[in-house]
Amino acid sequence: MKPLALQTVARDSYFTRLDFRTKLLLAFVVSWVAFLWESTLLVGGLAGAMLLLCLLAGVRWAYVRSTLSLLLPFFGIVLLTHGFFNVTQVERLTGQHALTPWFTFPADWWGVGGAMLSREGVSYGLSVVFRTLTLLLVLPLLVFTTDVDDMIVGLGRLGIPYKFAFIFSATLRFVPLLFEEAQTIIEAQRLRGLAVEHMRTLRRWRVYARVAVPLILGSLVKSQQLEIVLQAKAFSGSSQRTYLHETHLRRDDKVLLCLAALMGLAALVAYYGWGIGSFGHP
Amino acid sequence: MGDVLSEPSTAPVQLAQVSYRYPSARGFALRDISLTVRRGEFLGIIGPTGAGKTTLCLALNGIVPQFYGGKFYGRITVAGLDTLSVPVNTLARYVGTVFEDPETQLVTTSVENEVAFALENLSVPRAEMRSRISWALQVVRLAGYEKRHPYDLSAGQKQRLAIAAALAVRPALLVLDEPTSQLDPMGVREVFAVVRRLNRELGMTLVMVSHAAEAMAEYADRVAVLDAGRLVALGTPRQVYAQVGMLQGLALRPPQVTRTFHLIGQWREVRTPLPVRMAEARPRLPHLAAQLPPSCPPPPPPAEHQSPPQLSVRHLSHTFGDGTQALRDVSLEIRAGEYVLIAGQNGGGKTTLVKHFLNLLQPTAGQVLLDGVETRTLPISTLARRIGYVAQNPDQQIFSTTVQDEVAFALRNLGVPPDERRARVRGSLTAMRLWERRDAHPLALPRGDRTRVVIAAVLAMRPDIIVFDEPTTGQDFRGARAILEITHQLHRQGKTVIVITHHLYLMAAYAERMIVLRDGQLLLDAPLRAALREEQTLAQAYLAPPQAVQLARALGQLGARPMPWITPEEVAACFAPDGGRV
Repeated sequence: MKPLALQTVARDSYFTRLDFRTKLLLAFVVSWVAFLWESTLLVGGLAGAMLLLCLLAGVRWAYVRSTLSLLLPFFGIVLLTHGFFNVTQVERLTGQHALTPWFTFPADWWGVGGAMLSREGVSYGLSVVFRTLTLLLVLPLLVFTTDVDDMIVGLGRLGIPYKFAFIFSATLRFVPLLFEEAQTIIEAQRLRGLAVEHMRTLRRWRVYARVAVPLILGSLVKSQQLEIVLQAKAFSGSSQRTYLHETHLRRDDKVLLCLAALMGLAALVAYYGWGIGSFGHP
Repeated sequence: MGDVLSEPSTAPVQLAQVSYRYPSARGFALRDISLTVRRGEFLGIIGPTGAGKTTLCLALNGIVPQFYGGKFYGRITVAGLDTLSVPVNTLARYVGTVFEDPETQLVTTSVENEVAFALENLSVPRAEMRSRISWALQVVRLAGYEKRHPYDLSAGQKQRLAIAAALAVRPALLVLDEPTSQLDPMGVREVFAVVRRLNRELGMTLVMVSHAAEAMAEYADRVAVLDAGRLVALGTPRQVYAQVGMLQGLALRPPQVTRTFHLIGQWREVRTPLPVRMAEARPRLPHLAAQLPPSCPPPPPPAEHQSPPQLSVRHLSHTFGDGTQALRDVSLEIRAGEYVLIAGQNGGGKTTLVKHFLNLLQPTAGQVLLDGVETRTLPISTLARRIGYVAQNPDQQIFSTTVQDEVAFALRNLGVPPDERRARVRGSLTAMRLWERRDAHPLALPRGDRTRVVIAAVLAMRPDIIVFDEPTTGQDFRGARAILEITHQLHRQGKTVIVITHHLYLMAAYAERMIVLRDGQLLLDAPLRAALREEQTLAQAYLAPPQAVQLARALGQLGARPMPWITPEEVAACFAPDGGRV
């Protein structure tokens, strides 16, 4: 089995055929719009659209699910923080003098007595959650649908020095290998009687932390081996090189580049002109 | 050829009094080596671990000393260029390098990009690049694989791809550092076939390090022997491998055919020089067969184990998430005290099978039972008390900061009281001759010692069954024999020993039974002596019987009687004056 599950989608699709530069601009515009908008509905729609596009592009549901479950506690904290404590900002954004209570702790409860969870606060928290989700889903859509070698060519055409483009691609290539290595080390520990399945969370995390030492040492060895291999392959990091593959912006790329630029502009005008996308508005 | 490879005006490689010491090392890795490699020559390099073979390879492409630093004396020229002053990435135009591990040297995500990588770095124009990629892939028989991901290739194909990537640069010299050590017999055959073609048909100059004595004797024009950084012998394979005493003194292994004739020569008339290839030995066999005594004593009977099955595999199938069918309807039983060899090509299902013993993998269909209990119902940590597992790469099983902590790790997990823990750590380390190194960091030890640390850690758990997964890979002859001697001791102590390997020539003296897997199916399960003589069946799994078995069979045919011998010692003993007592 190839240890590259994080890197590429298996399916050939519209997204895999797009030029990396097009996808980069799209990702930039979507991220920028996600930062611009505060409207829970619109940012939620944007996150939903990104989720749909990810699945259409062949990003595995298992990946999306594990990302969501990893972030679930964080999202819970965001919702509670904004629901209970983000009063001033939400009041300013909505223009209200008082927020709508959803739940209030009894006044005689120690520490939290009287604290109120507001509907608008939770709604704003949701918009933050959706914004984060959008950013998280844009990444696999950009990275998983592009061959690492095509990324290097695309970044080179954007004027990024080859050395940086190569470092970026090497990181993407070797992160899954590191995960695999970590799994192998944990497996080796289990084979020495370490009953991870019977451990409490804190102890289990301590076990995982122990993996860091062999993992880092192994990575150092591997990076030195890689450096030797690269030198033997005439790698110097210089941008003075040729590329086997050409990159062309095709008609679809050009159309999408225009659409992305228009979308960004439209979102800007609509936000500042009519308040569309601002909190409390659609 | 002239339009294919760059043509240096001088000999491709000249070393003049080369000595080298790594930074912060006490001794020299290379000592006063002078050597000329002729154009179109295939020079083999052999030597024990630490002899300086890899350092010499790295010196040929300038990585030593340009990358490592250290003290360098003398001069190396490759294609007329001084490796000390010409930058490595410029030398890469003249020296192609193929390393031992097929995985670490592949840096892109498609076969054609891999071949293109060095060409891109050398600013070769696109049209020229395409033509060279096509040529290089054809030479290594990977044409049609251009769009495949390198990780989808077999180990032999990966190594051939690495050769293609080096070849596309059209170097004056191709350096291969143990390119076959991690490959199964099929991969070894693939790589040597390509190397022979490059050398014989294209006239490429090659320098190759390998422990594969039989293949080296077959293909190399000359063999250089290194020991402790010095060039101690240089000559044709016949001149070098015939010096059996010298090789044994360096803990090196001559081809089995040479060793067999050398041993027979103690008692019978054997013409010199000794044969180093099977083809050289065959014409001499009638003369030898005529000297066979009237009868040789029969070989020892196969070991019989009457105890109930310790491990039972029943109709086991396993399919990975990506759809790869790794095991198909495998059924077998292993009894207490057996010594079992599991062989087969890379990806044949050997490691997948033993991972089911430990519940590291669960059956897609079928069952694996340990003393009647399904392993899938038992936690790995519980199974680990019964079955010790020594993985191929010791570094992935080392995670403590001292040798004794590494051995004590499992004992703490098992709740062994401190006094008993200390005793067991001492016992295990003493058995592995590592007690003196107990405070060292395991990763600071040589590879052979690191493997012994892992074995010590497994032994301390006192398992009944010990699985060794490719324990001899990457080891020189001495290291491999040392590990197999440990397995032998454990077997004599009553442990069940399971060894996965395709180094059949090493196992003939140790294993009792041989299981062969091919494409996830059980191809052969027989006593070792009988299994090694199943030449046609072994060939289906890309395995070949050791040369000693081939010699015994040929002698038997000439003498019209069975010759069931499987090691050089057994074949030679038949010629001994005492009537061939084995």
